[in-house]
Amino acid sequence: MSREIVIDPMTRLEGHGRIHIFLNADGGVDRAYLQIPELRGFEKFVQGRRAEDMPQITSRICGVCPMAHHMAATKALDDLYQVDPPPAGRKIRELLYNAFMVEDHALHFFFLGGPDFIVGPDAPRQKRNILGVVDAVGLEIGKEVIGVRKQLRDLVAAVAGKAIHPVFGLPGGVSRSLSGELQQQAAAAAARAIEFSQFALGAFRKTVLGNPGYVEFITSEAYTHRTYYMGLVDDANKVTFYDGTLRVVGPDGKELLRFAGRDYLDHVAEHVEPWTYMKFCFLKDIGWTGFADGAASGVYSVAPLARLNVADGMATPRAQEAYEEFVTTLGPKPVHHTLASHWARIIELVYAAERMAELAADPQITDPQVRTLPAAVPREGIGVVEAPRGTLFHHYRTDERGLVTAANLVVATQNNAARIALSVDKAARALIRNGQVDEGLLNRVEMSFRAYDPCFGCSTHSLPGHMALIVEVRDADGSLVQELRRD
Amino acid sequence: MRTLVLGLGNEYAGDDAVGVLAVRALRGALAGDTDVVESAASGLALLEVFAGYDRAVVVDSIRTGRCPAGTIVEAGLAELGPVIAPSLHQAGIPELAAVARRLGMDFPDRTRVLAVEVAGPLMFGAPLSEPVAAAIAPLGRRVLERVKRWTSEDSGRGLAEGAGPGTKDTAPGGPGGTPCTTTTRSARS
Repeated sequence: MSREIVIDPMTRLEGHGRIHIFLNADGGVDRAYLQIPELRGFEKFVQGRRAEDMPQITSRICGVCPMAHHMAATKALDDLYQVDPPPAGRKIRELLYNAFMVEDHALHFFFLGGPDFIVGPDAPRQKRNILGVVDAVGLEIGKEVIGVRKQLRDLVAAVAGKAIHPVFGLPGGVSRSLSGELQQQAAAAAARAIEFSQFALGAFRKTVLGNPGYVEFITSEAYTHRTYYMGLVDDANKVTFYDGTLRVVGPDGKELLRFAGRDYLDHVAEHVEPWTYMKFCFLKDIGWTGFADGAASGVYSVAPLARLNVADGMATPRAQEAYEEFVTTLGPKPVHHTLASHWARIIELVYAAERMAELAADPQITDPQVRTLPAAVPREGIGVVEAPRGTLFHHYRTDERGLVTAANLVVATQNNAARIALSVDKAARALIRNGQVDEGLLNRVEMSFRAYDPCFGCSTHSLPGHMALIVEVRDADGSLVQELRRD
Repeated sequence: MRTLVLGLGNEYAGDDAVGVLAVRALRGALAGDTDVVESAASGLALLEVFAGYDRAVVVDSIRTGRCPAGTIVEAGLAELGPVIAPSLHQAGIPELAAVARRLGMDFPDRTRVLAVEVAGPLMFGAPLSEPVAAAIAPLGRRVLERVKRWTSEDSGRGLAEGAGPGTKDTAPGGPGGTPCTTTTRSARS
C-alpha cells in the first residue's frame, strides 16, 4: 500500500503550490511531485494588443518582480523595432534594474531564506518567520531592511514613474532623462545599498559559515544536483543582469553554449508532464531524458547559483572578493549544492549595489539624449534579462502595425522547474524514511525549493485566508488516513 | 483621523480584480480625510501604503474554500489567522501589521478586511465571474458603512456599540443566504 503526503500551501513562497509525496509500502519515498496551479491564458490575452503596451501589461503579471517583466518587455521592443537605446538610456535602465535586484535579493535573504538560515531549520515553527528573523538579527537591522528597500523604491518611483509598475521603458530608450538631483539620489541610495550588502554578507558569514553544521548541511548529497547551468555574462564572462550573452556550462563546468537571447529557441525546449501545467525547460542540444542530473540529461538551472557557475567572476571589487571566498569554500566550480544559492544571492546583492554606484557616478547617465526613435516595421522581438530568480525571456510577434499576434514568455521558475522537481524528490527521499514524517523533515523538504526563490502563481493576490500548512496522508485508494495541520 | 481604503488585486486576472474595481467605483463617494488607493502589489511593499493612516479598510479577493464565490467576508486582523508560516512576498496583512509594530513603524490602529470569496482558476483577461461581479455593489456599500461607522465612533455619536472586535459581521450570508464564517478552521474537508 502506498501513502500520499500533500504539503499545501507551501509556506513563505509566492503563489500557491502543492507538494505530493507518495510513500511506498516500506514507508520510503516512492516519488515526490511539486504541483503548480498556474495562472493561465496570458498568450491569448495579449493577442491584438499594441506591442508598446507590453511593458505595462507584463509588469502586472507579477506583484513581486514587475521590473523584470517591464525590462524584458522593453528590450523585446528594442528588438522588435530594431533600435538601440543611446548610452544614457541604457544606463538609466541598468541603474534601476540593479536597484530592483538589490531590493529583491535583500528581501529574499532576510525574510524568505532567513527563517531557514538566520533562525535555523530546526528552530520551533513559531520562530521560523519574519518576526523570528527580526528577533534574531535585531530591531535595528530589521528596520534597515525596510529602510533600504524604501529608499530604493523611492528612487525607482522618482525615475520610472511608479515603484510597483514602472512606466519608463520605451522601444529605443526611456521616457525621460536623469536630472542631476536624481543622480545624487541614486548615488545616495547606492552607497546605503553597498553598506547594507556588506552587512548582509557579514550576517551570512556569522550565522551560516560560522556553523559547521550548516556548511555540512549545504554540501550534503540531499541538496546536490550535477546539472547544466545558464545565465547572462558580459564580454569578460562576468555576471550581468540587464544585458549580455547567454552562456551554458555543463556539470563539469566547461562551456557548452554561448548564444544571443534572440536564438533561445534553438537551445531551449519545453517538456510537458501529465500531472502539472508547468512546462519543464531543457537544453535542446542535450535532450530530455527525464528528471535526472548528469551530463546526459538536458536539465539545467538558472538564478544566483547558476549565474555564478556560468561566470568567471564578478565585475565589481567587493563582489569579486566575496565570489572568491565562495569558490574557495565550496569549489571547485561548478558548485552543485542548491542551498549555496543563498550565499550566491548575497554575492549578487553586493554586485548589484556596487553596479548601481558605478552607474550613478557615470557622468554620461545625465545626458538628455535617452531615446532613439524607432523607424523600422515591426515583426518579431525577443528580450532577455536576468530576473532575481533567473533568466527571463519575452518573445513577441506582431503584424506590421505593431499589434501582437503571438507572445511567448519563459519565466525564471520555468527554466528551473525540472531541477526544482529533482530537488524536491531527492530531498524527500533522503529525509523521509520508514514513513516518519515530522514537521522538521517537511521543512527541510521545503527548503530544497525555497533556495530557488521560486515564483509561481505570479499575479494572484487573493488572501489565502490563513496561511496554513496542510499535510494529507492518503492510502492507495485515495482515502484520507491522516491529516496534519499547521494553523 | 486619516482613513485608507485600499483595493488589492490584478485587474487583468479575472476575479482577482474585484478589490481594485470595488474601490475604483467608490472614488467620489469618499472624500476629505479618506484616500482610495488601488494596488497590485503584495508583501512588504504594502507596508509603505499603510503608513500615515489611522484606519484602513482592505478590499480584496479571498479564497477560504469554505464560502460560495461572491460571499463577502469581513474580518479584523486577529481573525485572519495568527502570525505563523507567513508567505512573505505575498505577506498577509496580519503579518505586515505585526512586522510594523515590532519595528516600531507606523501602521493603522484599526484595520478591517472586506474580501470577496473567489473560485479558481484565475485566467488572464477573463471577465469577473457572475457571482463576484454581483458582489461589487454590496461590497462598496459595506466599505462606506465601515468608514461611516468609524467616523461616527470618533465623533462620539451612535453606532459605537457594534464596532468593536467582537462584532458579528464576520459571519455574513452568502449570495444565496448560505451561512459562512471565516473562523471555523476545521470546516474544510
